[in-house]
Amino acid sequence: MIEDVQSLLDEEQEQMFASQSWARSTNTFNYATYHTLREIYDFMDLLAAEHPQLVSKLQIGSSYEGRPIYVLKFSTGGNNRPAIWIDTGIHSREWVTQASGVWFAKKITQDYGQDPTLTAILDNMDIFLEIVTNPDGFAFTHSKNRLWRKTRSLTSGSTCIGVDPNRNWDAGFGKAGASSNPCSETYRGKFANSEVEVKSIVDFVKDHRNIKAFISIHSYSQLLLYPFGYKKESPADKDELDQVARSAVEALTSLYGTKFKYGSIITTIYQASGGTIDWTYNQGIKYSFTFELRDTGRYGFLLPASQIVPTAQETWLALLTIMEHTLNHPY
Amino acid sequence: MQLRRQPLPAPRPGDPYPAAPLLALLLLLALQGAAAAPAGSGDPEDSGWRQDAELPRGLLSQAARAALHFFNFRASSPSALRVLAEVKEGRAWINQKKEYKVDLAFTTELYNPEEGKERLGKCSARVFFRNEKPRPAINITCTRLIEKKTRQEEDYRLYKYMKQLQNLLDVVSIPDSHGHIDPSLRPIWDLAFLGSSYVMWEKTTQFLHYYMAQLSVKQWKTNEDAIDFDYTVLLHEFSTQEMIPCHIHLVWYPGKPLKVKYHCQELQTPEEASGTEEGSAVAPTELSNF
Repeated sequence: MIEDVQSLLDEEQEQMFASQSWARSTNTFNYATYHTLREIYDFMDLLAAEHPQLVSKLQIGSSYEGRPIYVLKFSTGGNNRPAIWIDTGIHSREWVTQASGVWFAKKITQDYGQDPTLTAILDNMDIFLEIVTNPDGFAFTHSKNRLWRKTRSLTSGSTCIGVDPNRNWDAGFGKAGASSNPCSETYRGKFANSEVEVKSIVDFVKDHRNIKAFISIHSYSQLLLYPFGYKKESPADKDELDQVARSAVEALTSLYGTKFKYGSIITTIYQASGGTIDWTYNQGIKYSFTFELRDTGRYGFLLPASQIVPTAQETWLALLTIMEHTLNHPY
Repeated sequence: MQLRRQPLPAPRPGDPYPAAPLLALLLLLALQGAAAAPAGSGDPEDSGWRQDAELPRGLLSQAARAALHFFNFRASSPSALRVLAEVKEGRAWINQKKEYKVDLAFTTELYNPEEGKERLGKCSARVFFRNEKPRPAINITCTRLIEKKTRQEEDYRLYKYMKQLQNLLDVVSIPDSHGHIDPSLRPIWDLAFLGSSYVMWEKTTQFLHYYMAQLSVKQWKTNEDAIDFDYTVLLHEFSTQEMIPCHIHLVWYPGKPLKVKYHCQELQTPEEASGTEEGSAVAPTELSNF
């Protein structure tokens, strides 16, 4: 009898929250669908509550429209250990990236203590994961324009809105590879770090001082890229970065056969100035990489939800390769 | 007619690609006499063409994309659409007007691959980029991926299906925000992709290339023999990352050449920086092949 009542109550609870797709634990969260900002923020709280020894949620700033900007910290202790940084969703329309970020967060909590590679990494380093790097843009992709890319900041002197957060960093800012037109999708902004979404990360990185790998995730094109985007000259560590990229891509492809190309930004995709990993590399973060996830144009930004988990799974293998290399090559 | 393979010539300095397969390719093109070739297209060495050994980044991929859009449009077959698999080899020549002539070979996949069946087609093409002006001239031949009879039957099956489709005006976007296309609407997407191929062919230059992102139906008429389809599409231009809205009107009947009329909002130039939220200056150009 008691069992029946319990299951009735459970069912009622489920129905009550069903319309809000409100998961009560990260085990019932649906990783194979796209979520709203609210749902992702709820997920972060659930995950941190379920794994208080491993996961904590930090607020590194507030967006232009006042939304909190959160970073998940995965740490097994120590004091300001060397760290890996991963961000997803800096371009809000690239939905498979935020969705993959959510999956990575869960994966880390599942594999620590189970997978030798990840366990070794987390026993020595911290991982910072910013899942929704552009929350205003992300909210806008849900409410008004699914294909919005930039931030939502107002530009005085123009009726156009938003700055491309991947052209706003202080690396080759103002050079060819970004637009000075506020209406353009690659508008660099009036000055470097004008966007609070970018400045928040810059401040965090500079304050931390011990980040050893920085990985910024985009879609689409199926590429793994290293600096530079703003100039043709190769980074001093080009050979090593190329080797790491090659290994990471091999690991990725091994899972589902997804083909990736790799190389520097400027030779592989296009000239782009003011980009994230050019700045982080110039700060001395040697292992600076950008991913462009699935696909190669069939669906583009509107990647079917059925591809979220396979994309996250294969990308994770590449991330592990980069993280393990970072662990084994301290500098 | 048999093609006799020429002995391998020594590679020229700075020539990264083996020349022999291309020689066979060029002979094949010359014999085929495919789509009209523009003036100055004869021997690669005449008309002020000099070989560009450096091959600007992405030029071969650009050429492959332009060629495939043209091929898909010309085939006018929504059941036989192809996408680029891999560029295999290529060479380019440039002239004083900064126009490019590109010879290349590449592989293709079906746009709608069947479960488990991965078919790779081979194409060879000659593409003329007219220094960022639209309408690159294309010569292209591809190996057959689908039996002609099968393709015709499949097109006709699609046609009959589409003839009885109704109530499409409620369909606001394909795919939806989650990338989902209802299987019953998949043929609409394919037909729209066919029409967009014409537009994307014309607009592809050595720097700009496009993907079809999302469409919405404006009008769907099947009372006449042909399918009369009016829709708006967002084309994603990759190098600028812009979303270009285009209004496309196509008329399709299986086995007949596709008819397309279109009008796109043009890409912003800095001088035209006006302000709308979606941010593109309106400089409509109406183009068609009617």
